[in-house]
This record gives sequence, C-alpha cells and structure tokens, in this order.
Amino acid sequence: MSEAAIDAREGITTESRSFGRQARDRFRRHRLAMVALVVLALLTLSFIVGPWLSPYAFSDQDFTALNQGPSLAHPFGTDPIGRDLMVRTFIGGRYSLRIALLIALLTTAIGTVIGAVSGYFGGVVGAVVDQLINLFLVVPALIILIVLAARYGSGPNAIAVVIALLSWPLIARIVRGSFLQSREQEFVLAARAAGASTVRIMFRHILPNVFGPIVVNATLLIGIAIILESTLGFLGLGVRPPVPTLGNLIAEAKGALQTKPSAALIPGGFIVAITLCANFIGDGLRDALDPTARRS
Amino acid sequence: MLAYAVRRVLATVPLLVLGTFIVYVLVAVSGDPLAKLATCNTCDQSAFDRIIDLYDLDKPIPERYANWIVNAVQGDFGPAVSYGSLDAGALVLERAANSARIAIPAFLIIMAIAVALGVYSAVNQYSRLDYAVTGLSFLGISLPTFVFALLLQTIMIWMLDGFGWRPFYVTGMRTIELDGFLDMIRSHVLPVITLVLVLTASESRFQRAAMLEVINSDYIRTARAKGVPHRRVILRHGLRNALIPMVTIWALDFAALLGGSVVTETIFAWPGLGPLFISAVTQLDLNLTMAIVMLTSLLVITFNLIADLAYGWLDPRIRYE
Amino acid sequence: MTAPLLEVEDLRVTFGTDDGDVRAVQGLSFTVSEGETLAVVGESGSGKTVAALAIMRLLPRYARIEGSIRFRGTSLLDLDDDGMRGLQGDDLAMVFQDPMTALNPVITVGDQIVEAIRTHRDVTEAAARDRAAELLDLVGIPEPRRRLDSYPHEFSGGMRQRAMIAMAISNDPKLLIADEPTTALDVTVQAQVMEVIRRVQEATGTAVMLVTHDLGLVAGTADRIQVMYGGRLFESGDTDTVFYGSRNPYTLGLMASIPSAVGRTAHRLEPIPGSPPSLINLPEGCVFGPRCAFATDACRSEPELRVVDAATGHATRCHRADELPALIAARAAPREAGA
Repeated sequence: MSEAAIDAREGITTESRSFGRQARDRFRRHRLAMVALVVLALLTLSFIVGPWLSPYAFSDQDFTALNQGPSLAHPFGTDPIGRDLMVRTFIGGRYSLRIALLIALLTTAIGTVIGAVSGYFGGVVGAVVDQLINLFLVVPALIILIVLAARYGSGPNAIAVVIALLSWPLIARIVRGSFLQSREQEFVLAARAAGASTVRIMFRHILPNVFGPIVVNATLLIGIAIILESTLGFLGLGVRPPVPTLGNLIAEAKGALQTKPSAALIPGGFIVAITLCANFIGDGLRDALDPTARRS
Repeated sequence: MLAYAVRRVLATVPLLVLGTFIVYVLVAVSGDPLAKLATCNTCDQSAFDRIIDLYDLDKPIPERYANWIVNAVQGDFGPAVSYGSLDAGALVLERAANSARIAIPAFLIIMAIAVALGVYSAVNQYSRLDYAVTGLSFLGISLPTFVFALLLQTIMIWMLDGFGWRPFYVTGMRTIELDGFLDMIRSHVLPVITLVLVLTASESRFQRAAMLEVINSDYIRTARAKGVPHRRVILRHGLRNALIPMVTIWALDFAALLGGSVVTETIFAWPGLGPLFISAVTQLDLNLTMAIVMLTSLLVITFNLIADLAYGWLDPRIRYE
Repeated sequence: MTAPLLEVEDLRVTFGTDDGDVRAVQGLSFTVSEGETLAVVGESGSGKTVAALAIMRLLPRYARIEGSIRFRGTSLLDLDDDGMRGLQGDDLAMVFQDPMTALNPVITVGDQIVEAIRTHRDVTEAAARDRAAELLDLVGIPEPRRRLDSYPHEFSGGMRQRAMIAMAISNDPKLLIADEPTTALDVTVQAQVMEVIRRVQEATGTAVMLVTHDLGLVAGTADRIQVMYGGRLFESGDTDTVFYGSRNPYTLGLMASIPSAVGRTAHRLEPIPGSPPSLINLPEGCVFGPRCAFATDACRSEPELRVVDAATGHATRCHRADELPALIAARAAPREAGA
C-alpha cells in the first residue's frame, strides 16, 4: 500500500460527537424548551426574592386597603383583611413549587424502584405490581388522600408524600416496560455472565438506559403535581391553610369572583405558567434524549 | 367471545372485592359514628344502642363488610345517613344520571375533536396548524380544570355586568321538564365545555402520536405505491389502524366522566356524583361512599371489557380463545 | 432503437436534517429498457433504495429531488399528485423489503389486491376478486380463492412476499421495482421468491429493477448490473462483464465478500475494510478512496463515471480503471504462490 493510500484513509471523518453532547445540542435547538427554562428560572427567582424585596410581610395587614383590586401600592390587590396579595402569591408559589418538586422526586424514586424490581424479576413480583396498579382503578385516590390526611395531618410535606404514594404507578409502568426489554438484551446477559450482582446489573447496567424516559417523566410530573396540589387546595382537601399555596389562594378568592376576579385569576395564571414551562421542558428533553428523534 | 367476556368479568371479581374491602376498612376505621354522639350531653344510652345496632358496631369490621356486600349484591346499599337517610343506591343512581347529562355530550365532542385534530395534525406534521394544535394542547394540559372553570365564570360575570345579559348559567342544573329547552342548554354548556377542554388536549396528543406512527409505517407506503388516493390512504389504511390504541383511552376516559367529575361539578354546582362523593367521604358516610365506589368500579370494569372486545373487532390479529 | 422505458438523468436526492444535509443520491443517470432486468447493487446507505423510492415518488415531502426521471417519455417529477397516482400501481409498481410490515394488518389480503386493481381498472368487485385469485395462483399460493379472505398475519413471510408481488403485478406493470425483496426472508424462501419474480416476468413481460445488497442473488437473474456507492453510480455493465471484467475496486470488493465464489477474484471471504461513508460528511475526492486498497494521490479528486467499453456500454468510476486488471493480477500472484 502506498503512502498516499494511508493518507487517504485518514481522511475518514465520522460523526463521533458523544451522546450527551448531541442531546445538549438538540435541547438547545428546542427554542420553546429554552424559553420555558428561562421563564421557570425567573419565576422561581421571583418566588424566592420577591417577598424579601416587598415592603409587606405575608401576614401584614393594611387597613386602608381592604379587599382591593390591583393598584400601584398592591400590584396584585389585597385580600379581605388587607394582606398584600403579591407577597402572598410569591410565598404561595414558593410552597407550591417546593411541594411539586418533592412530589416529582418521591414519585420518581418510588416508581423507579418498583418498576425496576417488577420489570427485572417479572413473575410474581410483576403480577403483584400489576394487581396493585389495577387496584388503583377501583379504590379512588381521593379516599386514601382524605383518610390519610385526616390521620397524619395535611402539612405541605405530608400532602406531598401522600400524593407521591398515589402517583408512582405512572413511572413504575414506564420503567418496568424498559426493564422487561433490557432484561434479555446481550449487554445484560454479558454482565450476568461476568458475575455482576443483581443489584449492580439493575442499577449500573440497565438503569442508565432508562434514564431518558425517567428524566422526561419526572419533569412532566412537576407540572402534574402543581395541578394536583392546587386542585386539592382549591377543593379544601390539600395543604391546610394558613399555608398559602397557589391553590389555597384561589380557594380563598373564589367567593369574591364577582367583585375581584384578579385575586383568583392571578395565582391561576402562575399555576398555568409553571405547568406550561414544565411541560415544554419535558417535551424538549424528550426530543433531546430520544436518539431516534428526527426532525426535518 | 362470550366465553371470553364471562371469564374476563369473573376475573375482575376478586379485584372488586379487595378494592371495596380496602375502601370499607379505610372509611370504617376513620369514622366512628359514636364519636360525634359522645360529645352530645343530652343523649342517653338508648341513642348509643340505636347507633350501634344501625351500624353493627358490636361486630368486627370484616363481618360488617360481609354483611354489606351480601346486601349490596341484592341492590340494597343501606341508608345514606349524611343525606337524611335516603336510600344510598337510589341517591347514587339519581346523581349518576345527572353526571351522565354532561358526560355523554362532552365525551362525544371530545372524541370528534380529538380524532379530527390528531389525524389532521399528524398528516400535516410540522404544518402551521400542527404547531397551533400542539401549542393549544400544551395549554390545555397545563390549564387546571378549576382555573379554566373560574375563567369561564368570570367571563359570564363580566358579560352580565357589561351587557346586562349572559348566554350561559354559571351554576346549577336546569332540566327540560322544569325549565324548558333553552334554559336546559344554557345551564349545560359551561360544564360540558370544561370537561371537553380537560380531555381533548390529552386525547388529541395521543391520537396524533398514534396516527404519526401509522403514517410512517410500511403499509401506508404500500398503499401509496398502489396509487390509492390520499383521502382513502388516510382514512381506510391509516385511521383504522390509528384508532386501535385509542380504544383503551376512550374507555377509561368515558368511565371516568360517567363516574362524575369532582372539580367541574363542584365549581358549577352540578348535582352529579362528583360533589356527592366529596361530601360522602369528608363526612365519612360509609354506605354512601361504598355505593359510589361500587358504581365507579363497575363503570371502569365494564368499559375496560368493552374496550377489550372492541380491540378484537378492530384488530384481526387478536383472537379470543 | 426505441426510447428506453425509464430514463433517469442526473438524479440528486437531499434530505435536510438538524445535523446537515444528507446527500443520499448524487448525479445518478441510468436507463431501463422494456422487459429487461436491471440489478442495482450496493451496501446500505449507497442510495439505491432512495433512488427507487424517488422514481416511485414515495419519498417524504422534505426530501429535495432534482434532475429528471422520464417514464415512457413522461417526466415523473413534473406530474401532479393525481397524474402520478395514475401510474403508481398501474404501469409502475413496487415490491418492498419487509413483507411483515408492508401489508396492512387489518385488511384481508384479497381486499388489498382488489383495491390495487379497482384503483386503476373499472371492474366489478367480483371480477377483481377473480383476478386476485388468479394472481395468487400465479405467484404460487395454494388454495388462492380461500386465501383471499386471510389476513396478512395468517401468512408466512414467504407467502406474504408472494402476495405483495401478486398485488404489484395486478395491473400488468411495465416496470416492477423490487426493493430487497428477499432480504427479510429465510435463505430457502429467498430462492423461491426470486423464482416467482422470474416467472412473473415471463408471464407479463414487465421490466424489473431489482434493488439488492446481495450480488450473489442477481447473477442468474439480471441482464445488467449497476453498482452504487455513497449515492453515486460506481460501475454499470452487462452481468457477465461486471462479474468477469469489473474495472472497479468497489465492485471487486463486493464480489470478494460473496461467500460462494462467483467472480474470478473471490478466492476467500474478504470483507471491504471500514464502513460506508456518512452521507453528511462525504470524504473529499473519490468517496470510496478511504476504503480502497488501490487509492493513490489521484484519488484526492473525484473521478468521473467513464465508459471503458463502448460496445457493451461498460462504465466505471475509477481513476485507475485501466491499470486495474494488471494490479489485481499482481496482487493475486504472490498470494497464490504463498497459499
């Protein structure tokens, strides 16, 4: 072979960007997801910094301004006992977001472990999980929630734990499907043949392959959790007042819809904004982490 | 197929028993009817005895559950104590009929819109309308029911303030018998719109995904290679396949709608199963809660079965032996 | 000589993707005459299937197609959708690679064939069913009339591909494009399906464009062979000429990798080193250069397709086409001596 031939072979340039880098590039190209990420960051920042910058504390009463609509002094208006609704909305957003993150985290953790175990072992464990999931079709989650809340209280953390205990089948089913598929694949058989322990195979070899869908669904869960928590709060079944979650603020304001709709619609707008952001980010992640995704 | 259906129904019996037992225990251990009485100063022992007798409180919970299920199977769900001791079964059926008044039209509208939007945006993927549908469904998924319902009510209030007239009622159910056709419609519109919004968003996403998968399949290309006209390719070859995965989703959604929507019915003060369920559970009215759970479970089981049978009809690859 | 049935000139197909343009077919020109069998051979990614789908106008809408495709004098790329549908499944038919997925799972085989017939012929349902049964019989499906009411999943892979062929020839096409018709099938069934294609060709006189990666499959079937690589035509000529007098290192490499020795250079199984190029980042110069055992400085510029034998129309894309026979002899000699 001549020198020239060797040189010519070095001309081969194959696409070899790493998967992580490609995913990051694809996510960045997803304009809506990027915008949503920025908006969510700004919202979070305002929830944290907002109350601190405001001249009012969250339970300060302004007796010169009772039950008012939006004004310069109180941009979101005041409630019937003169508390500034902007501060209350920011604090409410803080609680709602914290609860939602906790729910997403707990649900993902529980769902992943149960899904992994039932998918990997199949058989009896799988059947038990199947029946548990079916049982949720018969036993209304609301009953469990109300009964547990009556027993263990309805503080923010308790509500988050209860909601997570009720929503894990969603993630479990996804993780299980992936584990069922991976179980028989060659890299798993190879790891098993090499004497890797079961736990190691499950969490070091298979789990990384399921990472994409788990992350995507955890993100989407934040949106679902915000809606769940605020709906429960609105129905009077969620976090117990005076903790001001976004749902509780709307519940307080719904009676005065006729005179002062802003008090209900502004926190409602925040719920929609957070959920929308979570959904767009989740969608962007799905496109970025799905290697088969292709757009023209 | 009949044998299959019978087997399927029988297979759900243990699930139904276990599920209702769990609910029974949960409610029974949470609500002690004697607790309320204990704070009553004027009540004597005979009142306690009456309550104990009424609820069989002297017997263990499994035995009470067994009694309940024996009666329930015969259609006797006992009195709903939180509703003036009306017959729980009859009360639930009456409220279920009210829920159905908005659930059925909502479901038909949801199916029609979701199939049309899902198919259209899949066929015209990345078109402007596809982006619009995607954007709207994201909004729909992100908009909590109660916020949307409050928004609708606010609009009606503004209209009433601005023009002295509003097209639709914001609360309550009006019937054709008592209030006439027009008022009946005016009271049904907002709850139906609210139900439609909630589910159309997610269903059209599912339909789009199902149709996209079908459209990119080899057999669609085969149909095109035969020179089959576009419309026919989409409807005969595409839609038929893309509806198969939708059947389960429809069944679950319809069962959920018929079982009463807690949020929508509560906000619009609709006398359906949703508000009844909330009040039954919060007041720990055992008989009423159990009657509702029984009905909603039966709805889920029935529609799941219907979905399964429809699968076999739509997809020749599935055969029930 | 009359005009050929199909004339493809300077065909270029490009797909826009996030990672850049994929140039799947680059300047492809060839013809198919009435009744002949042309084999288009190449590895995956060579552009052979994309070219076939471009002729059928079955590529997704985001594909950019340039150049000219003339079928019986009509420019296919200028036809509107309705005009094109008039040809698809009528004079111009196609059989696909995977018979497992190419038939609609929820429609009976009979109905799918009847649809192909009635889309183009104004006949009754009953007449179309009679014709469909005849076609199933022709492709060798036993009890054809009863089988009309079967669903695709009730057929074996080989039977499904037979049914696909029956459907494709239902309107006596002038050109049948078969895209890897046997790749998804068991080896024993492959030969049967090729036999069906041959029989169909005899019965209908259709020209066949056989797209395959398997050079061994085409030896006994094709009149002419055309080898593609990196979206380009690399060599074309009579079957015998290409098999016994190839003037292209890529073709020679393909023949060397056929397990059963057909060509004279195939002494043992020799896979071509490396893998086909990324169609986004094509190598500079000759696209096969990086994998070619004979590459020199000259190969830094892209060679033209050039006719080496005017009498047979044998053409090749290689700077060293003229020295190639000598080079091969030189390489083969020491190996034989050492063996």
